[in-house]
Amino acid sequence: MFVFLHALSFILAAQAIDSVPPRHPPRTVAIDERLAQDAGLHVGDTLVLTPNPGHAGDTVVVSALMKRASDPSEVARGSYRIRVHLDELQQLVGYGERVERFAVSTRGNAGADSALHAIDAAAFGFRAYSSREIAVESSTTFLVVSRFHRAIGIITIVASAVFLLCIMLLKVDERRRDVAALRLMGISARTIVRSVVLESALIAVCGSIAGVGIGSVVSAYVNWHYRRVYRTPLTFSLVTGEIVAIAVTLSLALGVGAGWLAAQRLVRRPPLSLFGR
Amino acid sequence: MILALARASLVRHRARTLLAIVGVAISAAMLLDMVMLATGMRVSFRSLLLAQGFQIRLAPRGTLPFDTDATIPGAASIVAQLYARPDVVAVSPVLGAQLHAERGAASVSAAALGTLARVQGDYKLLNGRPPVADGDVAANDALLTALGARIGDTIRVAAGFDPQLRGFTGQRTVRIVGRAHFIYLAAGERALALPLPSLQAMEGPSQKDRVSLIMVRLRDASNVEAARDAIDRQMPAVSAISTTTAIEQVEQRLSYFRQLAFILGTVSLGVGFLLVTTLVTVSVNERLGEIAVMRAIGLRRLRIVEQILIEGTVIMIVGAIAGLGLGLVTARYLNSILAAFPGLPEAIDFFLFQPRDAWIALGLLAGSGILAAIYPAWRGASLPIASTLREEAVA
Repeated sequence: MFVFLHALSFILAAQAIDSVPPRHPPRTVAIDERLAQDAGLHVGDTLVLTPNPGHAGDTVVVSALMKRASDPSEVARGSYRIRVHLDELQQLVGYGERVERFAVSTRGNAGADSALHAIDAAAFGFRAYSSREIAVESSTTFLVVSRFHRAIGIITIVASAVFLLCIMLLKVDERRRDVAALRLMGISARTIVRSVVLESALIAVCGSIAGVGIGSVVSAYVNWHYRRVYRTPLTFSLVTGEIVAIAVTLSLALGVGAGWLAAQRLVRRPPLSLFGR
Repeated sequence: MILALARASLVRHRARTLLAIVGVAISAAMLLDMVMLATGMRVSFRSLLLAQGFQIRLAPRGTLPFDTDATIPGAASIVAQLYARPDVVAVSPVLGAQLHAERGAASVSAAALGTLARVQGDYKLLNGRPPVADGDVAANDALLTALGARIGDTIRVAAGFDPQLRGFTGQRTVRIVGRAHFIYLAAGERALALPLPSLQAMEGPSQKDRVSLIMVRLRDASNVEAARDAIDRQMPAVSAISTTTAIEQVEQRLSYFRQLAFILGTVSLGVGFLLVTTLVTVSVNERLGEIAVMRAIGLRRLRIVEQILIEGTVIMIVGAIAGLGLGLVTARYLNSILAAFPGLPEAIDFFLFQPRDAWIALGLLAGSGILAAIYPAWRGASLPIASTLREEAVA
């Protein structure tokens, strides 16, 4: 098994050098593209790695550039990553034969649980975790953000409902004379309520379509902006079919509800009173 | 008279006015929350960092304090160099580690801080005495509860586990001499403090003369940045971080919340503005005849404008005042959600109320109310009197 230790935990100081001849053939390292970009490093460049800045270290050659993983737990960290051969890093930081963790690949998902139990039962002093458990643990920050977004969403829905109700009330109020005339002509209150509800439903659907369009554009902008800010390929905002369905359904329900309330207020008044008499 | 007319106009459509006020109140609540979010974190973090009077922190080069497992080598020499500076009053070296703690059947892990009790700035002692001698520890309530222990009890602590020998490493029996509150730790996090040399010895040769963080208190608080620059240049193994730079770095990491606050605050203000504009415009449209009559009997344009502006501003201000109360309640709820961030110090508040925030929100809303009423006011004031009266009479 080929295992790497994360250099992040040890904060190696890397310094680009041009003319120091190595005494032994230098080992290779892979650096992340952010470090390469910030330090102006390229494949084939020579570096000195040292656990203590200003002290002697090992000369290494950059053999590869790594793309940063879409890891939510690292999104706000500005740290750089260097992948070093295990034995070299152990020697460099005086870590002996110790490692911080092993990654174990099993044949299929079914084998993972039995492997977990077998490893845990083999000895004590360490514990095996499934990738899912680690993902849940490292995503806690984003779960909190998600709960925060949900709370903000609820406040927004309440505000939208009040706004919509207010607008519908104004729209219906504006037409009280038309409604009075219709009522005097014999059109039933039920028909008037239906027409108002239908109108508000149409407005809600049109608003939803516009909202989905604006949401998709904003989502694309959010992803572009935060990917640039945090320099990560992570997707920050995702417009899925489920989200669109929830938004449209909510909007429709709010629109119909607001229209019905406004129409009820109108048809309860006698037609002559709507005329102002 | 203008006030009475404005009042009559608002009272005429009670449901409509009430709904508008509710809408503005929700917008105001959201706006206040976002103003609090934009400034609260910074103020809260700043007061946390300065709580113990240390203005500069030294972390391993290229890192933030306790951001990684990296430690600073040659701690004794660095502390001596710092004390040699005339502007330094106190230096507090701190080593952080994770320890196993056992008492009877209870066995838990806890964050351990190795400090020098006479200069430490990481915890406040609630009861007992500080851990000054080898074998002393001060624990927080979460650890005492988990172990079922109290001051005077002895517990066993260990720094690690050797899987080959199948036994704990750096194990020793210690006595709880104090009960402490750890300032920078998350709520519910189990923790204990012990003398720095004791923790370094428990951690073994790898942590000999190493610390995770050094805090520096200066004589002159106005000279922090110059001292920070000098220390940063003088010591290649450390990054010197002042309170200002620490806040900037944390803000950079949490810039998302500031941007979210700005966007949602702007949207809230926009929604309130639209609501009032729509309402007042419709209200003016309904009263065109009335306005034309008032103009015909000699009321000046300015008085019409004043009346309509008063209507818009009243809706905004009444809604905003109601929204401030609502905003404080929602801020508390939202803060409780964000307080669950892993590792967030208990003392950090994302939503911190300051009277200045309330005045900013109120001022923005009042200004927005006046702006929202400008268009309908202009429309009302510029009506052609004769033709409007004729159209209204025909209608």
